[in-house]
Amino acid sequence: MATTIKSGFERIRNTEVWRTIFRSGSGSSNLHRSQAVQQNIFLHLFSVKVRSRALEFSPTWYLGALTLSTFFILIATGILLMFYYHPSVPQAYADMKDLQFVVASGVFLRNLHRWSAHAMVFLVFAHMFKVFYRGAYRPPRQFNWVIGVFLLLITLLLSYTGYLLPWDQLAFWAVTVGSNIAKAVPLMGKQIRFLMLGGNEVNANALLRFYVLHCVILPLVAILLVGVHFWRIRKDGGLYVPEKKNL
Amino acid sequence: MQAEVQSDVRKNPRRIAFILRRTSPYVKTQDDGRVMTYPTALSRFIIALEVAFVLLVWISLLANAPLEGMADPMHTPNPAKAPWYFLGLQELLHYFPPMVAGVLVPGLVVGALIVIPYFNINIEGESLWAKDRKRRLMIIGVALVLFCIFLLAFDVIVALVPTILIGGLMLWSARFSSESPRLFHRWLASKPLSFWIMSWFLIELTILTVVGTFFRGPGWSWVLPWQS
Amino acid sequence: MDDNNKSAPLRSRPTLRELAYFGVVSLVLLVSLAIAPAKNYFSDWRHYQKSYLKIAAERQSGTLVRSFHGGIHQTWIANLGVVDRCESCHVNMNGALVGATAQPFRKHPPIPHEINQFGCVTCHRGQGPATSVEEAHYTTEAWEQPLLPAKYLESGCGQCHLGPLEGAPKLSEGRSLLSSMGCVHCHNVTQPDGNQLTPGDNPPPLTHIAEKTSREWMYAWIKNPQAYAASATMPNFLLNDQDAADISAFLMAQSTPSAATKVEIKPAAAAAPTGADAATEATTLYGASFCSSCHAVQNEARNLVGGNFGPELTRVGNKVNPDWLRRWLNNPVAYHPDTRMPHYRMDDKQVALLSSFLLAKKDNDLLANVHLAPSTADSVARGKKLVTETGCAACHQINGVNPPQNFAPDLTRVGSRALAQVVFAPGMKHNLPDYIAAKIHDPRSFGPGLKMPKFTLTDSQTGALATALLAQTDRAATYPKELIISGARPSNYHPGGEAGKLMDDLRCLSCHAINGNGGDMAPDLTWEGSAVQGAWLEDFLKNPNTLRPALIRRMPKFNLSPEEIKTLADYISVAYQGSGFDSQTLDTHSLNADSAARGKQLFYSKYGCQSCHIADYKNDKGYVGPALTSVGTRLTPVWTYKWLKDPNALRAGTLMPNFGLKDDEARDLTAFLMTLKAKQGGSK
Repeated sequence: MATTIKSGFERIRNTEVWRTIFRSGSGSSNLHRSQAVQQNIFLHLFSVKVRSRALEFSPTWYLGALTLSTFFILIATGILLMFYYHPSVPQAYADMKDLQFVVASGVFLRNLHRWSAHAMVFLVFAHMFKVFYRGAYRPPRQFNWVIGVFLLLITLLLSYTGYLLPWDQLAFWAVTVGSNIAKAVPLMGKQIRFLMLGGNEVNANALLRFYVLHCVILPLVAILLVGVHFWRIRKDGGLYVPEKKNL
Repeated sequence: MQAEVQSDVRKNPRRIAFILRRTSPYVKTQDDGRVMTYPTALSRFIIALEVAFVLLVWISLLANAPLEGMADPMHTPNPAKAPWYFLGLQELLHYFPPMVAGVLVPGLVVGALIVIPYFNINIEGESLWAKDRKRRLMIIGVALVLFCIFLLAFDVIVALVPTILIGGLMLWSARFSSESPRLFHRWLASKPLSFWIMSWFLIELTILTVVGTFFRGPGWSWVLPWQS
Repeated sequence: MDDNNKSAPLRSRPTLRELAYFGVVSLVLLVSLAIAPAKNYFSDWRHYQKSYLKIAAERQSGTLVRSFHGGIHQTWIANLGVVDRCESCHVNMNGALVGATAQPFRKHPPIPHEINQFGCVTCHRGQGPATSVEEAHYTTEAWEQPLLPAKYLESGCGQCHLGPLEGAPKLSEGRSLLSSMGCVHCHNVTQPDGNQLTPGDNPPPLTHIAEKTSREWMYAWIKNPQAYAASATMPNFLLNDQDAADISAFLMAQSTPSAATKVEIKPAAAAAPTGADAATEATTLYGASFCSSCHAVQNEARNLVGGNFGPELTRVGNKVNPDWLRRWLNNPVAYHPDTRMPHYRMDDKQVALLSSFLLAKKDNDLLANVHLAPSTADSVARGKKLVTETGCAACHQINGVNPPQNFAPDLTRVGSRALAQVVFAPGMKHNLPDYIAAKIHDPRSFGPGLKMPKFTLTDSQTGALATALLAQTDRAATYPKELIISGARPSNYHPGGEAGKLMDDLRCLSCHAINGNGGDMAPDLTWEGSAVQGAWLEDFLKNPNTLRPALIRRMPKFNLSPEEIKTLADYISVAYQGSGFDSQTLDTHSLNADSAARGKQLFYSKYGCQSCHIADYKNDKGYVGPALTSVGTRLTPVWTYKWLKDPNALRAGTLMPNFGLKDDEARDLTAFLMTLKAKQGGSK
């Protein structure tokens, strides 16, 4: 049985179509395994081999992988949610009601997006502290740490811009409180806030601006930086795992 | 120091490393076992993804995302709270002018996080008290006392308490060295200054966020979470 | 691989444990993901649609089952902001499935509107877009206004219907109470058409109060108005002894002499009436003047007898100074220029009789225990401060205290007030209707420092007030203007000339409305000149008598002089003419004996008018409508004719039905009615 499935897979992997898509043919040698990574535009960000200690749970708690997982879930659910959402007042709120009461599994979709977003913010922080305590920011990984800090900020901005989109009281006042802080910036606080909201208060302009940031600009920047972040892991010599010390 | 070069260097290249004092620690004297990224490491990642997905699916099935009434600029809820990850900042805003709590502090935090890897790297993770013990004790002690007075002046009790705890622990750790008999004491003694600062930051962040989220009611007054 | 790296093994495949984890976690993920659509499938509305179909199938209603469209049913009205999905569960609103009495399948009772005209939440509140029981009916995090309890449902009508509305008695009562209890003195209530509700209680000015009453009475009154007069509309401010003493001190101190003090009281008016018949005479005068049309008195059984238009007189002897009362009876306008009390033309003897009759109405215990320390400058000053803080001047005119502006919260949008802005009393239910009702019922239960006084209201009145206030919604304010049906707005009509002065002196507009201004206690006089014959009018003013024996309220006798009567009758006959009351409408020459005979037939046979009216005291027993025994003397033929054709056009809301009479039938009936003349010497 298992062999039948296995040979079936082999046959598929030997077809011309497969080989044109994935460039690596069949075979189970380490060369083929390496090719599977090298020849793939997404996977080639990673090294072909990783240190087996880096796969252990204790050094990383898999926090980076979990953060990336929530990011994937957020992209998938976010795209689905965009099908039901109009960034306009008051339709945005009515769309929330439609998601809740009419759209099949709409509540579930929104829940998943919302909770994943909170989870991602939490995991990014956790990841950062774990990296610090592991000492993995030290040379030559300095710049990857800096990218990480920017990814933290992007994550916070993504979450914050998404917070406004339901256009409910919670959203409105959370963003009002947040945007009022921007006013305190010396000299050009008001201008920053105006740029941020597209006006002097949280209104339909701000909603549209936050929507574009949340759905286009920030995800693109995040994807780009995540790509660099992973590529730099490889370039900086793989995941840092401290040597076991005898205390 | 000498390096031996064999004749079959082309066929059999060897890595020679000059290990200096300030070199990064990723150079190992001996290499660990390795794993192919595809499929082994990737399968690990996919398991992690699936576990996260399952957990989030169950949370989403059991708890609905909050949705309140439609946004109404005329009706300000009391208290109007920012998203939870900004509540630490909002808690600081309660004590300090917005210029300090809203701009200066987050700016400093981000700046500090960025320069961490460039700022006087202590690669060996040398203990804070390894050198100049007396002078350091005095500088840190005075700095701590001044900072506590500053916090007290602004009535920031929620930040003062963890500062005193962490600071006290830090000063206490000066009593120990790597020769101390107890493991916990040795562990304390081995910690560098960056560890203490980051731990203080982590605890402050956690406490301020928790206080802002659960312990603040109308008018940002102190309430207990079980008293609605 | 290099032999130097032999110590570093390379693992190329996942271990069995990894594969096992992978398999198990993948399976758990797939199962978890499958639960979401399953949860979606077991929704409330699907459950109810299934049970509906089950009931329909049990009743063998095959057509119902076949014609049923499953899925979410929605009423969408863009310009009203209505997205109502109530009918997704309430699938039997039209009652197609007969006899389904349990919700959500109950039939909607008939209403004057189509359900898809205004949707459901317009009247019922609740969350229209919701498709789950919890969210649709109750207060949730996302929705504050739960389903409105049935007893307040009429507030829904009041969002568009801004005037009195037949079929919504609670709403209409509540609106009139807002006005008559004086709520709108302090609270602004602006209706969606921009009109403010205006007070209708006419609180007396206190600028000359020392002339009218004593400080002791004032003290007792402000401490508890209902102890003096059970029907008093003045609320109880729950003042303590000291505050009441200080306020009474200030009110006495600020009083100035009124114009009435210039009138000299003749000894005959002040004399105590003598003679055995004096008491009977006074009672007769009280009755003949129809004082009880407006004023009530408590009888032995503690029931109020009389109208509630003027103050209750049960213990008036405790209240008023005898001289003030005599001057008041002589001419009330001199003391209170805006009083609703007419100026009776009483002679000195009548004043003496009536004043001694009224002064005898007292309760010796009322002020027996009131012993006030003499007023001092301090207590006057403190009293003034209290009067200002309490807001007395919002209702009463007081020297030296300006009426406060925006004294109490604006209630224009109170029906949509956010619960977050509401401070609930401990232990009460957190919903708006209960809050409003509790606040009206006992304002001080929300905190002793609150200023709102306690009104004396029955539970039904409280409910009516809450209903009227719940109609003041945000939703109504956003409705298209063409939906709003404004109430009648009082015009500022006042009769002019010599007759106008006379009518003002007699306060005709206190009871009668003319051209949209005036009270509703007595008939509208706008077309009175067209309606009645001049001779009858003179006769009536000389000796008014009721047309409807069943009514308590009657037109009083003002003791007018013949010149005054002539002036009034002429003015009313000429000025209060409607259009179309001329010979083109009805040629009076056609009203002959033949026609009258046919009319009598119609009266008694075809239309059976005698079931409500009396044309002949001997045989007829109808007491619903006015007696018609002398209608030929009273009404003009053309009015009668037009009245018979369409009563509602002449008096909106009359009980008289429109029989759809043909022209000749109406003419014949008119001819018959015109033969019903009063006997000489009386107008019975």
